[in-house]
Amino acid sequence: MVYVQQITDGVSVAGLLFIVALGLGITFGVMKIINMAHGELITIGAYTAYFISTWGEVPFIILILAAFIVAGTVGYVMEKLVIKKLYGHPNETLLATWGVGLILQQVIRLCFGPEERSVKSPLSGKIDIGQIVIPYYRLFIIAIAIALLLFTIIIIFKTKFGMQLRSISQNREMSECLGMNTARIDTLTFAFGSGLAGIAGVILAPLKTVSPTMGLSYLVDSFMIVVLGGVGSLNGTAFGSLLIGESNQVLATFINEVAAKILVLVFIILIIRFKPEGLFRREQR
Amino acid sequence: MQLRRLNLEFTMYVIILIFLALFPLFASDFRMEIMGKIIVLIIFAIAVDLVWGYTGLLSFGHAVFFGLGGYILALSYTFQNGVPNFMARFDLHEIPVFMKPLLNIPLAFLLGMMLPALLAFIIGYFIFKSKVSGVYFSIITLVLAQLFPMLIINLQAYTGGANGLMGLPRFPVFGRPLSLFSYYYLVLLIAIAVYLFAKWLTSSHFGKTIKSISENESRARFLSYNAGNYKIFIFAVSGFISGLAGMLYVPMNGFISPQDTGIMMSTLVIIWLAVGGRGYLMGAVVGTLIMNWLSELLSEQYPEIWSLFLGLILVVIVIFLPHGIYGSMHKWLAAYANRREKYSNKISKVNRGVENAETTENS
Repeated sequence: MVYVQQITDGVSVAGLLFIVALGLGITFGVMKIINMAHGELITIGAYTAYFISTWGEVPFIILILAAFIVAGTVGYVMEKLVIKKLYGHPNETLLATWGVGLILQQVIRLCFGPEERSVKSPLSGKIDIGQIVIPYYRLFIIAIAIALLLFTIIIIFKTKFGMQLRSISQNREMSECLGMNTARIDTLTFAFGSGLAGIAGVILAPLKTVSPTMGLSYLVDSFMIVVLGGVGSLNGTAFGSLLIGESNQVLATFINEVAAKILVLVFIILIIRFKPEGLFRREQR
Repeated sequence: MQLRRLNLEFTMYVIILIFLALFPLFASDFRMEIMGKIIVLIIFAIAVDLVWGYTGLLSFGHAVFFGLGGYILALSYTFQNGVPNFMARFDLHEIPVFMKPLLNIPLAFLLGMMLPALLAFIIGYFIFKSKVSGVYFSIITLVLAQLFPMLIINLQAYTGGANGLMGLPRFPVFGRPLSLFSYYYLVLLIAIAVYLFAKWLTSSHFGKTIKSISENESRARFLSYNAGNYKIFIFAVSGFISGLAGMLYVPMNGFISPQDTGIMMSTLVIIWLAVGGRGYLMGAVVGTLIMNWLSELLSEQYPEIWSLFLGLILVVIVIFLPHGIYGSMHKWLAAYANRREKYSNKISKVNRGVENAETTENS
């Protein structure tokens, strides 16, 4: 019975990881920007939720929208000021975004102080199925994860913006020749990915404590998921988060959590060795 | 031009060496300890520069090798006084079998370099044997650097956990611990040896191959160089030197904690390299010296501003000064020498022209 409980918990952990990694799946997966400030964008989302919830009772959806807008704006500015100058230099982008991450983290610490904050969960209570306990908030996380996946798929595959985005990621010069404003699409895409990271922050805020350094571990998790699933594939990101969420949760019952994480890392190194494109990446022509 | 390049590096080398050698004569013990720590970090920065500057592989995991070396030596020192407290607390009344070799300090010293090199070799083998881009390497090493401190904290019974290991003596290989003064010079000598070794390695045929791989990997491959093997080798060498640096760091600091093995340490050394100028050994030296002194001066008084400043400087350097301080100096001087050479060529041509004209006039 313990295992069933662990597996159901694993699904919600996977949902959480998916929400966290989705923004990176856009910025790293589609745009090939290694955004080391992803963790700080999540932190910004969490602090937005905290800041607004100190005003009084605010519907959760407002928090989500606000965090999306705030983190998206930060991402927009970041792309305009820093990343734009560094396209085609992955190592330099990595360093510069790490620097931006340090700056953002420190600014947050200066604004809100180093203390840990908490945000009240919008849903309390739980359902019992036999001996399995599922808090409502965990169900809510899974629902949000699915909703965000659908939302992103619609944006990428059904809108004009998404079509332009996909064509630019396939062939930048040709898209420019056809009159697309590639610079603008780049900025908007990055802002969109950052906004998704902000949403992840809101979802995390009631579960974990909100602190200026909370982003780092999620940054690492996100990169692991995106690499495992295959860079540039949303399905891969979803599958990667399911695999990592479940394995962390289930393995953690046999061995401890750190050992579980190390096993997952070894697994990822093996995957990269034998299937460098990730699990879900189709062969590119 | 070749001569001029040598001149800049050689001049810097001599100035810095004299400065470091005379430093203990004027400074207080406190400052001397800081400077000694910085010299150790210079060794570490050189190790990272071999991988990042010369081979173009941005590693976020070097603190793991550094920390592994440091922990091996620290554990070895701790074991000299019998079973340590943190083990006794977990009902381990005997040093576990797999840690027995650490009872022998010289053997531990050897292991502290071999194990990081072996770890680097294994990781390098898996990553570089497949043709994934450098970005994956950065991510894998990032994950490694995230996990290693967690592992140390988790294996509390064997490593002392989050508190780290404290009260470590200064190199009691020959019985008694060394004084700070003599240890400082020992570290300085080792640093010089490492610098010269790295200089030799990077200017050898091997070093040139490494550089060509970083500049154009597929072309190097077409010329039948096995790029993967070269990268694995340099990564392992770098792990070896990092382990050495970690082991020198422990006696200087007197203590090691899981923080010294994590992401922050790895990124700090990358920032020093970016500031100094990656791809130049002297860049590693200059960057480490400047940034660490700034850190000592500023972070004591303004700890909040320091982290902000670190982020800002990283962004500014990457965008506006991609070759770093020493690298840019080097480039300017080279360009200047180049211009002068052209100019003097022109002058001599004009002179020759005048002479020719004069000779024709006279005849």
